[in-house]
Amino acid sequence: MREAGFTTFLVDDDPAVLRSITRLLNAAGYKTKSFSSPQEFLSSHDPAVPGCAIIDLVMSELDGLHLQQALIETGSDRPIIFLTGRGDISTSVKAMKAGAVDFLTKPVQREALFSAVKRAANVDAALRQRRNESKSIGDRISTLTHREREVLEYVIAGRLNKQIAASLGTVEKTVKVHRGRMMAKLGVRTVADLVRLAEKVGIAPAHSMVG
Amino acid sequence: MNVLAPDAALEGRQSAAPGEDRAKTFRNALIVAVAYYVGAEIAFLIGTLTDKIFAPFWPPNVVLFCALLLSPPRQWWIYILAAFPAHVLAELQVGMPATQLLVAFATNCSVAVINALLLQRLQFDPPWFGSIRKATTYVFITAFVSPALCAFGGAFVQILGGGSIENYGVYWARWYASNALGSLTLSPIALICIERMGSFSFTPTLRRVEAILVAAVLAVTCLFAFKEDTSIASGYVPALLYLPLPIIVWAAVRFGAAGASGVIMVISLALIWRTLNGHNLFDVGNAEANVFAMQLFLIGLSCPVLLLGAAIEETRRAETVTREREERISFAAAHSSVGLWQYDLAAGSFWATDYCRTLFGLPSGVPLDLDRLLNRIHPNDFPMAHAAFQSAIARPTPLEIEFRVQGRDRGYHWVSARAQPIFGDDGNPTAMTGAFADATSRKMAEAEADMQRHEIAHLMRVSMLGELSGGLAHELTQPLTAILSNAQAGKILLAGDEKNLVEIGNIFDDIITEDNRAGEVIHRLRGLMKKGEIKYEVVDLNELIASTLRLLHSELIGRRIAIKDEKAADLPPAHGDPIQLQQVLLNLFVNAMDAMDGVAPSRRIITVSTRVTEEGGIDVRISDCGMGLPKSHEQSVFQPFFTTKKRGLGLGLPICASIMKLHGGTLSLQNNVSEGATAIFRLPPPGP
Repeated sequence: MREAGFTTFLVDDDPAVLRSITRLLNAAGYKTKSFSSPQEFLSSHDPAVPGCAIIDLVMSELDGLHLQQALIETGSDRPIIFLTGRGDISTSVKAMKAGAVDFLTKPVQREALFSAVKRAANVDAALRQRRNESKSIGDRISTLTHREREVLEYVIAGRLNKQIAASLGTVEKTVKVHRGRMMAKLGVRTVADLVRLAEKVGIAPAHSMVG
Repeated sequence: MNVLAPDAALEGRQSAAPGEDRAKTFRNALIVAVAYYVGAEIAFLIGTLTDKIFAPFWPPNVVLFCALLLSPPRQWWIYILAAFPAHVLAELQVGMPATQLLVAFATNCSVAVINALLLQRLQFDPPWFGSIRKATTYVFITAFVSPALCAFGGAFVQILGGGSIENYGVYWARWYASNALGSLTLSPIALICIERMGSFSFTPTLRRVEAILVAAVLAVTCLFAFKEDTSIASGYVPALLYLPLPIIVWAAVRFGAAGASGVIMVISLALIWRTLNGHNLFDVGNAEANVFAMQLFLIGLSCPVLLLGAAIEETRRAETVTREREERISFAAAHSSVGLWQYDLAAGSFWATDYCRTLFGLPSGVPLDLDRLLNRIHPNDFPMAHAAFQSAIARPTPLEIEFRVQGRDRGYHWVSARAQPIFGDDGNPTAMTGAFADATSRKMAEAEADMQRHEIAHLMRVSMLGELSGGLAHELTQPLTAILSNAQAGKILLAGDEKNLVEIGNIFDDIITEDNRAGEVIHRLRGLMKKGEIKYEVVDLNELIASTLRLLHSELIGRRIAIKDEKAADLPPAHGDPIQLQQVLLNLFVNAMDAMDGVAPSRRIITVSTRVTEEGGIDVRISDCGMGLPKSHEQSVFQPFFTTKKRGLGLGLPICASIMKLHGGTLSLQNNVSEGATAIFRLPPPGP
């Protein structure tokens, strides 16, 4: 389930290992980009490019876990596969908790590597899809008027039209119009769909001001 | 004469029971009384036989003198008291008046007392006449001082007996001569006989036969020589007097003091016998004068003979003492596995104790000489040992070497040798002296200690590698990863439709390179793991440090430690065992790494520097930025089992120090001025 332009970013300060993994992935048809320095990788990182990172855990300049942290701090959620010479449990738990896709022990078997890359590709694709979806929802929400937005927050809070009208200081009929327009703009038919959509973009339901 | 038991008579000797002691004293007093009386009777007999007024000597004085000399002064009164009745009895027989008798006894006692007193004071003790000093003392006191003194009193005896006061000088001389002669002729042999009575036996030995033969020949010669024969012209008399001389010398040389005093007695007796039988050798006029001449002759003869005997005795005793001492030393030396030797340079003669034969595996029949001993040395050690002995003559300090020697059984054992020249008065060496000792057991103990040290060093190396196993495994994992990935890539490429042969070639190149890389790691590890003999070779310390750091590469990365390289570019080669030196380096690096566990990663720096010292040796410094040595323990770190680590054995640095010592180098540890510590590892300049 690979997207077009999917790239594996390889980071390892041992040039021989870097070259050999690059070769293996290339032979399997992956597009690769290799870095012998973690700093170089960080500074040239473009989160828009689909792909995953394969990072050596032990590097003299900046070790794998720190690189993962630095990447997260830039706001990137690029899936990461760690390679290590010695897999101790505490390090692997730390890496997995921080969102690593896999933790592979050197020398790595190609099946394990490929399956990890595949999983990473899936994760990457899912992340990207979700990101695209929330982006289109956000676009639609931005077309709502202020009053329509208010109505939206009351609706997902489970208020009846009458209650919303009382809260906004208007009549039920007006609320009904706003609500119909709002649902049409967002392209949803039911309240349940609306709630799910609001959840995806993180719109919180309105707090009830009266009982 | 030989009646006084010496054990009861010696001064200061305490017998077991006082009763027994008293009985012995009483018995001795009785013997003295009897002997005194008999002695007086003999003197009177001689006097009567010759129809002369007095005997040539007065035996009772000899008896009293011997009794006093052999007893402590507090008992003297007993013997004097015992002699008195004997004296009275003897003198009354010849009709001596009371006054004369008492004066005679008083002078007799005084000469004996003065003799005994002075001799005891001057330490004249057994062995009698054992040295020239003793003999001279004896002669001086008993033949000159005390008779000369007492003769002043003794001369009155004759005056009281009716002699003219004008003849006082003559009486003095007579009294003097008879007492001096008694001390010279009778006392010595009497004292010696009493002394040797305890060990006397009648078993005829060759020596006793010889003694008796000498006495007999002397007696016959004397009887012949002292005969006044009309067939021999009187002018020959002095010549005849020399006839016994060879026999006298013979006896003195062969039998020492006993021989000398024995011949004196024989000559005296023979001369008296001849004189009694009317052969007057010294016919100078009247009878008294003749006897006096004889007395002077005997005194003059006795003094040198007695001294000669004493001199011979002293020499012989000294020889015995020397021989016994030598035997003792040889025995002691042999028992402590030491052989002694001496080589006289001028004479070329060689002396060695018998143990040297055992050491050098020589059978007992073969004469010992230096060449024979040196030829037993192991052929490999011979040139060194030979050169060392040659050079030892010129050395101011003792030579000490060790070499292997062929034992009597085929094997070789170790001998350590010491040699030292002995210098003559002109400052030139006259002899070489020294000792050989069996060093096999020490050498074996040393070898065993070496082996144990070697073993521990190996164990420490292996355990250190165990601690570093994670990093070391990573060093192998990297090339293995590259090889596996390359091979798998190659396989995929080969299975594809269009085969990129250039890329496949590159893959093979990389596989070979990485395989070699893994091989090198294994080679280094195997060197450290194996327990080989110590092999000294030319070592490039810079290269050794680089190789050690390559081994530690992953460990350093894992611990986020940076290395600051300050190695001198033009380092001369060193001499040593690369494995052991690498162990020291490895240990020092690991210590430096451990010291920085609590330091922030950005400040974890190990500086390694090499340089040439002023003496031409090599100095390696490994500095860390850790916590440094605990202040009170800067020296303790080289003590076995001292450790600051939680899981350390405390053997790392002691082993490193012993390795450096083996290389003639040093290892020291000191705190830096700012932070951390520096290990300084110093190798001496390569030997010639």
